[in-house]
Amino acid sequence: MAYLTLSNISKQFAGTFAVQDFDLDVQQGEFVSFLGPSGCGKTTTLRMIAGFEVPSTGKVTIDGADITNKAPNQRNVGMVFQAYALFPNMTVAQNIGFGLKLRKEPPAAIKERVAEMLTLIHLEQKGNSYPYQLSGGQQQRVALARALAIRPIVLLLDEPLSALDAKIRVSLRAEIRAIQRKLGITAIYVTHDQEEALSISDRIVVMLEGKIEQVGTPFEIYNFPQTTFVASFVGTLNTTAAEVVDPAKGLLQIDGVQLQTAENLEGNVKGDKVTIAIRPERFNFLATEKKANVLDCKIENITFLGSVVRIQVLVGSNRFYMDTFNNPFLELPKIGDKDQVTCSREAVLVLKS
Amino acid sequence: MSEELPYGWLQFARNRFKRQQKPRGEKRKTPVWSWVWYILGVLYFVLPLLATFEFSLRMKRGVYSLAAYKAAFADPAFLQAFGYSLTLAAITIIVSIILVVPTAYWIRLKLPQARRPVELITLLPFVIPAIILVFGLIRIYSSPIRLPFSSVVLIDALTTSRYGTIILIVAGYMVLGLPYMYRSVDTGMRTVDVRTLTEAAQSLGANWFNIMVRVILPNIRTALLSGALLTFAIVVGEVVLASYLGVPAFGPYLFLLGQHRAFEPAALTFITFLLTWAAMGIIQLVSGGQGQVSGAH
Amino acid sequence: MAQTTLPASQVKRPVFSGLGKWVGVLPFFLFAILFLILPSMRLFVGSFTDDHGQFTLNNVIQIFTQSSILRAYVLSIEISAVTALGGGIIGFLLAYSVTVGGLPKPLRSILVTFSGVASNFAGVPLAFAFIATLGRTGFISVLFKNLFHWNIYDHGFNLYGFVGLSLTYMYFQFPLMVLIMAPALDGLKREWREAAENLGANNMQYWLRVAMPILLPSLLGSIILLFGNAFGAYATAYALTGGALPIITIQIGAQIRGDVLHNPGLGYAMAMGMVFIMTISLAGYSWLQGRTERWLR
Repeated sequence: MAYLTLSNISKQFAGTFAVQDFDLDVQQGEFVSFLGPSGCGKTTTLRMIAGFEVPSTGKVTIDGADITNKAPNQRNVGMVFQAYALFPNMTVAQNIGFGLKLRKEPPAAIKERVAEMLTLIHLEQKGNSYPYQLSGGQQQRVALARALAIRPIVLLLDEPLSALDAKIRVSLRAEIRAIQRKLGITAIYVTHDQEEALSISDRIVVMLEGKIEQVGTPFEIYNFPQTTFVASFVGTLNTTAAEVVDPAKGLLQIDGVQLQTAENLEGNVKGDKVTIAIRPERFNFLATEKKANVLDCKIENITFLGSVVRIQVLVGSNRFYMDTFNNPFLELPKIGDKDQVTCSREAVLVLKS
Repeated sequence: MSEELPYGWLQFARNRFKRQQKPRGEKRKTPVWSWVWYILGVLYFVLPLLATFEFSLRMKRGVYSLAAYKAAFADPAFLQAFGYSLTLAAITIIVSIILVVPTAYWIRLKLPQARRPVELITLLPFVIPAIILVFGLIRIYSSPIRLPFSSVVLIDALTTSRYGTIILIVAGYMVLGLPYMYRSVDTGMRTVDVRTLTEAAQSLGANWFNIMVRVILPNIRTALLSGALLTFAIVVGEVVLASYLGVPAFGPYLFLLGQHRAFEPAALTFITFLLTWAAMGIIQLVSGGQGQVSGAH
Repeated sequence: MAQTTLPASQVKRPVFSGLGKWVGVLPFFLFAILFLILPSMRLFVGSFTDDHGQFTLNNVIQIFTQSSILRAYVLSIEISAVTALGGGIIGFLLAYSVTVGGLPKPLRSILVTFSGVASNFAGVPLAFAFIATLGRTGFISVLFKNLFHWNIYDHGFNLYGFVGLSLTYMYFQFPLMVLIMAPALDGLKREWREAAENLGANNMQYWLRVAMPILLPSLLGSIILLFGNAFGAYATAYALTGGALPIITIQIGAQIRGDVLHNPGLGYAMAMGMVFIMTISLAGYSWLQGRTERWLR
């Protein structure tokens, strides 16, 4: 039985739906990310779990109990805000202990728990500092400790890293995941950064305009996107229009060039128009390895991105990007050259809508 | 010191009158108390104005009329006094701008070290109430200023000559308005980032005069307007300096009028209020923000 | 083209560098010295001078010993404290109602504009307005007489005394409080409230443990500012009471007009005493401001 369930959740603001038809089951100890662009409803949904918004329809259940109408200060879910929201008039230790103080725990127990939390976030020396004396990353760790100190049943994080520098973001997100794993706590994480979601989640919920587009593991979302939006939002993607040639054999054509796909085309007939997508890293040059599909192309541009080299090729009238690992001893073609690229049948994805 | 106030007794009170936690509905319930305070506040503000207006209409016995207003405006002394104050206000504003704008500009661009002393100086009129400023000004300038230990006269007694008195009163008004004018201009310059604007203008070949007149001044228009309107309000309402120096300004005129007449002062007071409201309204519109105060007099 | 460097003596230095930079702020400082610092110094030095020009501490001592002067200070402090606290509390409630209290936005701009007006309305017009409201034939007095058959003056109310003056002062104290506290209340981030709720706090606990402690420095600072504001007021009191209520500013005013104390040095000392109290207020205010800003970075 799922630990956290959202069933038939929707939220209306002045006539428009911020969230619609939202159904999700989260297992205990799972780390689920809500991923999507601004305005897709991910934060609104999170706030409904926290109790700051009341759903227009549907219910929220945690561990069997219906908490849909419970006040936010009665739910025992810990929330980490984007802007840290540390109380400026209290020290770090007082911030962390605030929830416990409200629950009237004895001072000795509070002190112990605060020390425990400080060790968890590696800020043992900062107990008596004030928030304004800490860096952004440190403040966010304190906010995390504050939310965890009350032993919440679910941990909610609302884009906690967007206000921080890129480098801190990478290290802090790993830290958050490590702590979550260690404590075994169920967590919901809202972000618009797909790399973040891919790297730390057990499952990702991709949202667009208030609705769920796809739910799956990072692997599934990335490699088997079900809609154009998911495919283009997560990672880079080459998309183009294609026509079905032979549904039984999985043959398509783009601009007269034939492509084979491993996807099931049973539902289509010859002449149907579909959208196909191929990840840049699934291409390679014919010289390196031969795969099922071979395409003639012209090299338009070569961009050096560090560990990856991105090559822009023209196949017929379609512009594709091809990613290959940087290899100092690999001879790359020159701009203007004519060459051939290949990709496997599995690499050609057919998207619905 | 603990940062929380002791609340044990509140706890006790709450337990005594414990009520059920209401199930969470949408948060927006009518903020009854807010309305109460607001309405009380509005009443307190509006009543004196209403009273003044009502009083000003009572000049003709038994019937409401604008007779008080007519009489007030018909008095030649009124026009004289008001015109005088208006002129003084204009002079004060212009000289203030000429003094403050280049100074603030210079500090921003070349001399940030002077910021602290200058800000301290602009704070002085807050620490030294108007009455005391007047005291000092009058005491110093009612006798000539000599070079120490000699009989060489640097400045003649300002209070004895007409031009001297005007200089003194304009200076006094400038001092009273200095905090607001300076702060307004300084904030305006900071918002507009005069440093970058100047560098951009210079790179396009502008000289100092052009920079000041075509680039800086137009961009701090709103700040200048705020400062000017506040100075105007201060000058027109100022009584102490004007009466002690014996100048025929509007403040002393109104005060004197209050000694002899009943209805005309009320009429003029109401007009003053309308004028002040217009000035503040313009400032609000223009600066779209918090509004400024000039404190007690 | 080869690069060469000139010897230091031949490098063309910009006109305004080093000490020369201070030229730009010279006019400002000159003005400040002539009309701000010099008068203040005159008063300062004068308070330690006796009739024959010799140094003396007698004037200062007399301030504490002469009962009339002491009473004047005490009275001023009392009025200022009362109006600061009263104005502070009610002003805070007003500011609360239009910010956190959830009244519609337009009501807030009305309040802010009006606060700007009311605080600039101080002085002679304010006195007249209150006379028209609470004077013997004022609007409210007449209303009470006709409606409730209740003559407030028979019941001990007196506009021209402590209570009346305090009520009048409130008219510019509330607005000042509103203008300072509204932005401070805006600064209460929504997330603090949500974080507190999330951790289990109810409304009361949030206000007691989070919001009030955060607001306290601003609140205290503002009340101190209000204190200073009322303390230095002169024109309002004079126009209202005609000098009947012997607050310290009125005493000093009398001294300026004619040497009623028969000792000019004493007058200066009284003025200095006021400046001293105002300085402490302002220092307290800026210290508290500093603390608030530090927290809310």
